[in-house]
Amino acid sequence: MTSDKGNLISGACLVAFGIYIISVAVKLPYIADVGPGSGFFPLWLGIGLVLFAAYLMFASFMSSAAEARSESQSWKAGGRALAGWSAMMVAIALLGRIGFGLSFVILTIFLIVALDRRPALLAVGVGVGLAVAFHLIFVVALDVSLPKGFWGF
Amino acid sequence: MEAFDNLLLGFSVALTPINLFWCLVGVILGTVVGVLPGLGPAATIAMLLPLTLKMDHTTAIIALAGIFYGARYGGSTTSILLNIPGESSSVVTCLDGYQMARQGRAGAALGISAIASFVAGTVGVLGLMLIAPPLARFALRFAPPEYFALMVLGLAMVVFLAGDSMVKALLAMLVGLWLATIGTDLFTAESRFTFGQVKLLGGVDFIAATVGIFAIGEVLVNLESQGGAEIFKLSRGLRNLLPTLQDLKDCRFAFLNGSVIGFFIGALPGAGATVASFLSYGLEKAVSRHPEKFGTGVIEGVAAPEGANNADAGGALVPLLTLGIPGGNTTAILLGGLILWGYKPGPLLIQEHPQLFWGLVASMYIGNVLLLVLNLPLVPLFAQILRLPYYVLYPLIFGISIVGVYSVNNSLFDVWMMGLFGLLGYLMRKLDFPAAALILGMVLGDGLERALRQSLMMSQGDITILATRPISGTLLLIAVTILCLPAIRKVRSWRVEAVEREG
Amino acid sequence: MKLRTILLPITVATVMAISAGFAWSQEFKPSKQIEAVVHTGPGGGSDLLARAIAELLQKEKLIPQRMQVVNKPGGGPAVAMSYLAEKKGETHTIGFFTGVWVTNPLTTAEATVTVKDLTPIVRLVLEPAVIAVKADSPYKNMKDFIDAAKKNPKQLAQSGGSITSRDNLMRLLIQKATGTQWNFISFPSGGERLSNLLGGHVQLMVIEPQEAGEQIRAGNLRVIAALTEKRLAALPNVPTIKEQGIDVPLIPQARGVLAPPAAPREVVQYWEGVFERFEKTASWKQYLEQNQFEDGYLKGPPLSKFLDDLTVQMREVLKEAGAKVVR
Repeated sequence: MTSDKGNLISGACLVAFGIYIISVAVKLPYIADVGPGSGFFPLWLGIGLVLFAAYLMFASFMSSAAEARSESQSWKAGGRALAGWSAMMVAIALLGRIGFGLSFVILTIFLIVALDRRPALLAVGVGVGLAVAFHLIFVVALDVSLPKGFWGF
Repeated sequence: MEAFDNLLLGFSVALTPINLFWCLVGVILGTVVGVLPGLGPAATIAMLLPLTLKMDHTTAIIALAGIFYGARYGGSTTSILLNIPGESSSVVTCLDGYQMARQGRAGAALGISAIASFVAGTVGVLGLMLIAPPLARFALRFAPPEYFALMVLGLAMVVFLAGDSMVKALLAMLVGLWLATIGTDLFTAESRFTFGQVKLLGGVDFIAATVGIFAIGEVLVNLESQGGAEIFKLSRGLRNLLPTLQDLKDCRFAFLNGSVIGFFIGALPGAGATVASFLSYGLEKAVSRHPEKFGTGVIEGVAAPEGANNADAGGALVPLLTLGIPGGNTTAILLGGLILWGYKPGPLLIQEHPQLFWGLVASMYIGNVLLLVLNLPLVPLFAQILRLPYYVLYPLIFGISIVGVYSVNNSLFDVWMMGLFGLLGYLMRKLDFPAAALILGMVLGDGLERALRQSLMMSQGDITILATRPISGTLLLIAVTILCLPAIRKVRSWRVEAVEREG
Repeated sequence: MKLRTILLPITVATVMAISAGFAWSQEFKPSKQIEAVVHTGPGGGSDLLARAIAELLQKEKLIPQRMQVVNKPGGGPAVAMSYLAEKKGETHTIGFFTGVWVTNPLTTAEATVTVKDLTPIVRLVLEPAVIAVKADSPYKNMKDFIDAAKKNPKQLAQSGGSITSRDNLMRLLIQKATGTQWNFISFPSGGERLSNLLGGHVQLMVIEPQEAGEQIRAGNLRVIAALTEKRLAALPNVPTIKEQGIDVPLIPQARGVLAPPAAPREVVQYWEGVFERFEKTASWKQYLEQNQFEDGYLKGPPLSKFLDDLTVQMREVLKEAGAKVVR
């Protein structure tokens, strides 16, 4: 069960998001020739979001049990997940420059070495092995094109 | 009976060595294509069309159709093992299938998926054989109000995806509906929420979103625990490598449910297999004796949607072969193929080229058997993938996801979107928002809005058209009833509490 | 100085310059796979046409390398057009355009590329359209329909694509010319447009004769007008819209080939040559006939003029349609 603080924050974010949607939707035509225009649907979606998210915030206020769970543990773990995500985003950014093969190997090395503290040799082995497998299956066998670097993979 | 004579003709065509061979090639290729996310049957068939020009036409359509329904078999493999939806219609399979895999029952999940697909595929072919023309005529009665009601019914399924918090499920669904509005509005050519990006004019790529939320999100959640906590219980013994007899008994209704819903939805041009899989999942949960267990690894939760998306393939061939109307992308290419070979698909196709139609129908029976025979023995093999150490598995999942999403449109932008959705999926997991509800919204949002506006255009702004037409009125009534279920249950539980307090 | 001593070096120099000029504008020949960009997904109209043309070009050995169709769907043609524009300087990429490549940028602010930015190569096809009704409907010709529309303003409906599509624009032009009004319901796929007509939920649609052909043969559809200058060969009994007294400009649905911006002259000449030979082949003529397309072969300055004129015409019609014109 998510802690109430989590519910509160997510509720607040969704309320803000809903308001943003409404602000864009009102600039679009509400009624077209016949029937709703392009602003109709988003407007009601935004309203729905604001209402339900506000309810979520309200419910998390009213909740009796003050579950002061130890947040520090889950935040540290969250840090690992976010690090992994950042590594992936970096790899995606590199895809276009240095090609799939290398980016993937770099990502794998980061995941195994940095996040898991396992030997670098293992990481390189796994990375290169998988990259070669991907290349063989997708590029060679299936004729799917993957982002290439200068060196052709 | 005429149908039997025709079927015999069909088998005589389908059982020739060359047609058998190409049927096998088609279904194997289809399975491979279905397993890999991103590379879809539509693109594969399009790539192979030039090769088919040199073939006999009946052989060619047998092969291409094999790819089509074979892909539905394969789509479940990565959904169950890796939480990566191989096809958009396999998203629902991820819900319970992946959970079963985590409990060491991957084999059972894969096996039941193959069996359900076989049953549904066979029902689909039966349907195609026996009721195609009348079904096509019935499907013509579906105008925008009926589609709207169908979409609303689909959205009502959110009730069954809710888990603990109905509010969060609704919020997730609303976000999904919003995601569906991104892009160019069909009716007014206005662009909405595109943030000035040309690449968003077509909307968010569905595969990028689902792979991001499910696959990447899941890996990110797992990354939290250092040393990769034993995420997957290793299956011990044969019991977990294949579904048990008890499993088969449990899924009796699911087989029927998936087949019927899938076939009917497939016959409606424009409504996709994804809708069918959500509806059959919802129905299965509604009639189940242990609905609260859905989402934790219930085998019927795999059998129903898997059946639905296979029967849908058979259903999609109904409008194509009886009216020459393609129901979706893949059938549009099959239509293109037929035209390229010089046929004119339309109402007269079956009469004028019986060996093409009945040969195809017969080969679909054969194809379904082949797929079952192929897939079942592979199940234990596939299940071994889960024995890979997590430090190989996670890069593997990242890699497949990136490659899969990239290969849809050769677009790096899509891969970026996948990355962003991955973060979203992770946050949703942490905060207990059901991802399936968001996907439901995304899938149905387009169709829902479109159908509503089309209906109002038809009725000149009169909204009662939705309720006064018999089919749409009925569907809406069912949808409203379902949506009221949580409220009814709450009232009942209050009453029970009140009685207990008094007593 | 003797004339000879001046003439000779000048002649030699001129000859050298000319040969050097030839060397510069050396003939272009594709040396690797050719990319053909289309704006629809696999199975869409442009996609199928591109694949067919690629197949025929290879069959007739008009190109030395494979032609690979690349799908770039999104925002109508916007994604495909911007992709093609990004390929500036690339000599092995071409794009297959249709009418929407001209009209879409006029209404979409996010579109960064217009047809003027790209290099025209050839126009290959003019797709005619017809107006069809359900076979058992009471409308036997345009007059019947117009009369019914006049009696019941805004009651009848037509199924079609987006509001900037040819279907709708023709409707607006006809409405204006006849003083009537009927509704337009957008359906994204041709299949749905047709099924709604067959189901009786709309009364009318604009459809390509190829699509309509089979339905007519089966007795499900009736064509009441041809939206062409002359009657169609396959439908000799169907009068054109002008013959029926409705004088509206006909919006052509053209399909052809474009190259990335500022394509080098040799490349343009190469492709023009290829398609010139292509247009004469029997297999292309057969394809045109099978699909009931009109041979719309056009290249060079007349093609550029056609695209410019079309842009102007579209801008006018779109403004009348009430669409937000941004360019």
